[in-house]
Amino acid sequence: MRTFITYTFILSVMCLLVSCNKDQGAEPTNRSAISLHFSNTFQQTPIVLGDAGSSEATMHISAMGQVHYFSELKYVISNIRLVQADGQELAYHTADLDQGAILINQANPESLDFLLRDIPVGEYQQIKFGLGVPAELNVLDEVKFPEFYAEVEANNTEMMWEWGTGYRFVKIEGFFGPDRQPLSVHTGSTVTGTNGEPDSYIQGVDAYRDIVLDLPVNAVVGSNSPRITIQADFDKLLSGQENTIVLSPENAQPNAHHTLDMLKFVNNLGGDGTSDQKGMFSVEQADN
Amino acid sequence: MKELALYVLVLCTCFSCHQKQVPEPSVVQNPEIELSVPVGFPELNASVDKNPPTVYGVVLGQKLFNEKRFSSNNTISCGSCHNQSYAFTDQLPKAKGVYDRIGLRNTPPIQNLAFMRFYNWDGNILELERQPLIPIITHAEMDASIVEIIHKLEADPHYAELFEKAFGDQGITADRIYRSLAQYQYTLISANSKYDQVKRGEAVSFTESEARGYISFQQKCMSCHSTELFTDQSFRNIGFPINPSAEEAGRARVTGELEDLMCFRVPSLRNAGYTAPYGSFGQFATLKAVLDYLDTGVLFADNLDPILKNNGNRIPLSEEEKEDLIAFIQTLNDPFFVEEKEP
Repeated sequence: MRTFITYTFILSVMCLLVSCNKDQGAEPTNRSAISLHFSNTFQQTPIVLGDAGSSEATMHISAMGQVHYFSELKYVISNIRLVQADGQELAYHTADLDQGAILINQANPESLDFLLRDIPVGEYQQIKFGLGVPAELNVLDEVKFPEFYAEVEANNTEMMWEWGTGYRFVKIEGFFGPDRQPLSVHTGSTVTGTNGEPDSYIQGVDAYRDIVLDLPVNAVVGSNSPRITIQADFDKLLSGQENTIVLSPENAQPNAHHTLDMLKFVNNLGGDGTSDQKGMFSVEQADN
Repeated sequence: MKELALYVLVLCTCFSCHQKQVPEPSVVQNPEIELSVPVGFPELNASVDKNPPTVYGVVLGQKLFNEKRFSSNNTISCGSCHNQSYAFTDQLPKAKGVYDRIGLRNTPPIQNLAFMRFYNWDGNILELERQPLIPIITHAEMDASIVEIIHKLEADPHYAELFEKAFGDQGITADRIYRSLAQYQYTLISANSKYDQVKRGEAVSFTESEARGYISFQQKCMSCHSTELFTDQSFRNIGFPINPSAEEAGRARVTGELEDLMCFRVPSLRNAGYTAPYGSFGQFATLKAVLDYLDTGVLFADNLDPILKNNGNRIPLSEEEKEDLIAFIQTLNDPFFVEEKEP
């Protein structure tokens, strides 16, 4: 029986291979992959998470002299686009969160690497992506995107923003100050209107931020699969280009982030969407 | 009476079908229900036009509204918190979900929603069809998922029939669930209180106390509790005691505006007699307690409503005025509305 199954399996794989060859016909393999790696740091120091009283966690001191560290660090990347040397833009499953969105979770090293598959051969000079999920896709559609939904819904993930029926874009838990007071930063959109038409937005805030990063050297997709390392420098959380934030019990808990101070954190991490389209992100290196 | 009219309507439709000899007799006729807009009510929410209630859409919606399989452990339906006997509230300060988990806020009544422009205390939802997902996924409410619910309903052949009648085929989809729930709620119109009967010139009149209360109401309450819905649907901070939960910011958690901090939608006063306790997290056990608080003085805030700010942070009321106001508010109770009706 087992042999039979094995043979059937081999046979079906062979069929599949044969049919693949047929499909590609005259066109030779002209696609390869780019791997993305996300490196979460405080300036140049990689972040190590730690619970209350941890001695291993990476401690960081803000511009205003506040010591802090994280016990949890998650964020969503979506809407990935690659810009070729000639300026042409390639959208990578931008309308499909199952294929094109990434849930970065510092506690899960596997989540820090993401493979962009089937990228046409060529040279790429720039990568664009979103921190968070664009308004038109930010509706927790379990039917349409079951895999991504399962990821954000999974136990202890808590990346669903229940009352906003959207995704949490960034979730940071940790501690600050000499007394190790709790630090909790949650971001997400509450914007309402016609999907994808900012002019029609009736109420709410848009916490999605588009990020544009030039690659230090063009990523050459050919026989090789380039690897791009994106650094997310969480020093910017409190000491950003937009805002220098002093944590207090008032702004270090979720209600403040839902409302008044949330956008300060959003702009520090993801830029203001106009003059600053980098926020905390930079490309550390692109290896061909 | 309503049921009779519906029955006649369905019969007529069937009859006319026979006369025309529609070639597909198996197709269920599912006429739209004309919502009767009470005199003086505002216009319908634009979503109603996009999802007009139908006879079987409403039947399905009501069944789903009371379906406990919506919750992860099959213990809670929409109707568990939104109990019709209490104008679709639950008599609790804060809503109770699966495993007795306590939610953030007081269960809002469900009435005249077809005429509302904002839903929930902070107005985060503008279209009723987009509301059900929130209680479905919220940890302290149903803690479920829409796909899980679809699977449970698919296992029950009765639902296949109901979805076919309502939507033309047996497909159970998220969209159809949301639409039928909204259709049912659109039909929950309350406009048959003593107040309405007096207004319509029917053979009832206010008692002396109610009449005095109505006058006080117009002087001291109506700037916010205006229109025939008894709410102007604005969001205001009226200095009520603040919910200790760190999750609470009122309307500001939707808009991100400082001026909306701890602002809540002005509640309709219709059926208020059935919906104790009061306040966004049930701070007040009785209407009297609310009026006492407003009379004594509310919490100051930078964005406190100007009407209160300009009155020394209070609405001065004598004991007699309070009694009369409560008598008037009780005339807004609609006993026909809170009667349980079988689907």
